[in-house]
Amino acid sequence: MTERDINRRDFLKLTAAGAAAVAGARAIQEANASSGAPHGEYQWVMVIDQSKCVGCGYCTYACQAHNDTNPDIEWNTITRTGSLDDKNVYLPRPCMHCEKAPCVEVCPVQATTYRDDGIVMMDYDRCIGCRYCEVACPYQARSFNWEGFTGVNPVVPKWGQPEVERRPRGVVEKCSFCYQRIDRGLELGLTPGVDPDATPACVVICPVGARLFGDLNDPNSEVSQLLATHDSYRLRENLGTGPRVYYLPAEADEMES
Amino acid sequence: MLKIFQETLEAFKVRVTTIKVTPWLAWLAFLGFLLLGGLISGILIFWKGLVITNLTDLVPWGLWITIDLSSIALSAGAFSLCAAVYLLGLKRYQPIARTATFIGLIGYSMAMLSLLLDIGRPDRFWHAVVYWNTHSLLWEVTMCVVLYLTVLVFESMPIFAGFEWFRKRYPKISARMEQLHNYAPFLAILGLGLSSLHQSSLGAVYGVIKARPFWFKPEMAVLFLLTAILGGIALTLFASMLSARLTNKARINDALIERVAVFLGWLLVAYFYFRFWDTLAMTYTYDPGRSEGLEVLTSGALSFNFWVIEMLFGIVVPMVLLLNQRTRSRRFWRMLAFALIVIGVITYRWDTNLSGLLVVMSYLPGEQLVAYTSYRPAFVEWSAGFGIVAFGLLAFSLGVMYLRVVDHRLTEPEHETVKVKVRETVTA
Repeated sequence: MTERDINRRDFLKLTAAGAAAVAGARAIQEANASSGAPHGEYQWVMVIDQSKCVGCGYCTYACQAHNDTNPDIEWNTITRTGSLDDKNVYLPRPCMHCEKAPCVEVCPVQATTYRDDGIVMMDYDRCIGCRYCEVACPYQARSFNWEGFTGVNPVVPKWGQPEVERRPRGVVEKCSFCYQRIDRGLELGLTPGVDPDATPACVVICPVGARLFGDLNDPNSEVSQLLATHDSYRLRENLGTGPRVYYLPAEADEMES
Repeated sequence: MLKIFQETLEAFKVRVTTIKVTPWLAWLAFLGFLLLGGLISGILIFWKGLVITNLTDLVPWGLWITIDLSSIALSAGAFSLCAAVYLLGLKRYQPIARTATFIGLIGYSMAMLSLLLDIGRPDRFWHAVVYWNTHSLLWEVTMCVVLYLTVLVFESMPIFAGFEWFRKRYPKISARMEQLHNYAPFLAILGLGLSSLHQSSLGAVYGVIKARPFWFKPEMAVLFLLTAILGGIALTLFASMLSARLTNKARINDALIERVAVFLGWLLVAYFYFRFWDTLAMTYTYDPGRSEGLEVLTSGALSFNFWVIEMLFGIVVPMVLLLNQRTRSRRFWRMLAFALIVIGVITYRWDTNLSGLLVVMSYLPGEQLVAYTSYRPAFVEWSAGFGIVAFGLLAFSLGVMYLRVVDHRLTEPEHETVKVKVRETVTA
């Protein structure tokens, strides 16, 4: 090979042109990536009726048992938000499974991703435990495994049997809409939201029927019907995250003593 | 790490045989003590898990992320000075760029160490390089940091090649490493690109978080880049001047430093301007979360940090000291100004992280209820953090003593138009 003179100006120009081309291509790709969760055959949503919820906390226990969580971790929390005619109003909060989930966008390793049925999944084998998703989640729906969970789960077997593997120390976890029950149920020909074995544990355990689950793609599903006929709201809707958990606000005449 | 310990141990041996405690040995012993503490803490953290820290699900990022952000920021002297020397052609600053490159290499290693402590699964640190989420700012930062650390290794090869013992023992390898200097302009371009990307993106890591209105603004990226350049150059100059004061192995050129000091003074003016509007803009109208964050910063838990350390001593005082010719020409005041800038930049990182995290936004409907939480690093966080800082100080001290990283008399060969000879045999 012969001697080559590399002109700095040309090199810079080339670098700039290359960078611009790459950035342009990326911008187009990125526009697709930002469009949110893909829409498949099913679109699972949860509807929570605040007129019915009595704040018993069964949903939290059932969740901790079926998903075998550390007793310090609650995928589903319940907060008393106020009262109406001397009756307490509660707000249960699972993961919102957002249409445009901040956690999915920020995860550096794609350890949290969308399924085409809308469920925001965690890959515990891939998570590095940086906790950026926790910082980004507007609903505090994510918990970090600060320590390993090796002991006995105090809510087993009273509230259910574990259906998924325990998460190791050092990864983030959250509500999964009990995907394991949905997937298994569908395989057995059951309908999630109708058949208890194919429905999230919190919905099944609820003693007052405050939680409903189903497919928004099916206009005849109970959730579709309810949302079509009732006023509903979602949490921090102004952020544009598109939560898949809908709330029916508490109404005095619908509340039982 | 092991090598560092051996160095320290050797230093102790010398002390035992001669029983003469020089300041240098005392300094090594002190750093060795901190390093040992850091090592024990690190082992404890890997063994017991992050449960022994004071981090929580509400404040998942704390002291270590501040060390990580600060050491990356304070390494920014490397890319900015290398760009000035090799791309803008300001060749007289080459010896300062040399120091900055070495500091950069140390800084990024420190950042890597603190990240290893901070993530829950340090065994999976390589995942970001393999599983790409190009949409994530943190992924972009990780990739840039990894790539830029590689650039820094190449950029500092000529420095390591100058190590006396190494040059005598392996003259051929040493000569080859020295040759890398010819590629400095190209490495500077790479460094400039990668650094401007990730220094800004570190701010954007916070800036894109919609859930926390105090952070959610585009100027985070701008402020992080600006403060990084400011702090990086200031640290380089401070470290150079301090070394020259303490040992004759370091030689500085005051005229050179003064010129850069003027630039820093004006950069402080620019930073002040941006920060002023950044803060003022947040005072207009009430915005849940954002207003509370500002309150935490300006009249709450972080108000002393903000007004005294960041604003007064981090910006105003050094600005006056560096732009006023009389104080600038005095070594003491100049050094003080550099040190204050560095402290101000570190405090900015700490304050930014916490003012967003301490305010807990409610997701409850119709309520603008905002709760506050608190965070105080646990002892083990401090001891591990000090260990990382001690590693940096030790590496720099050894560099000053044995690699001539601070020597403004050094002039390197010309390389305006580089003739790259492919497959040329190196004659040692």
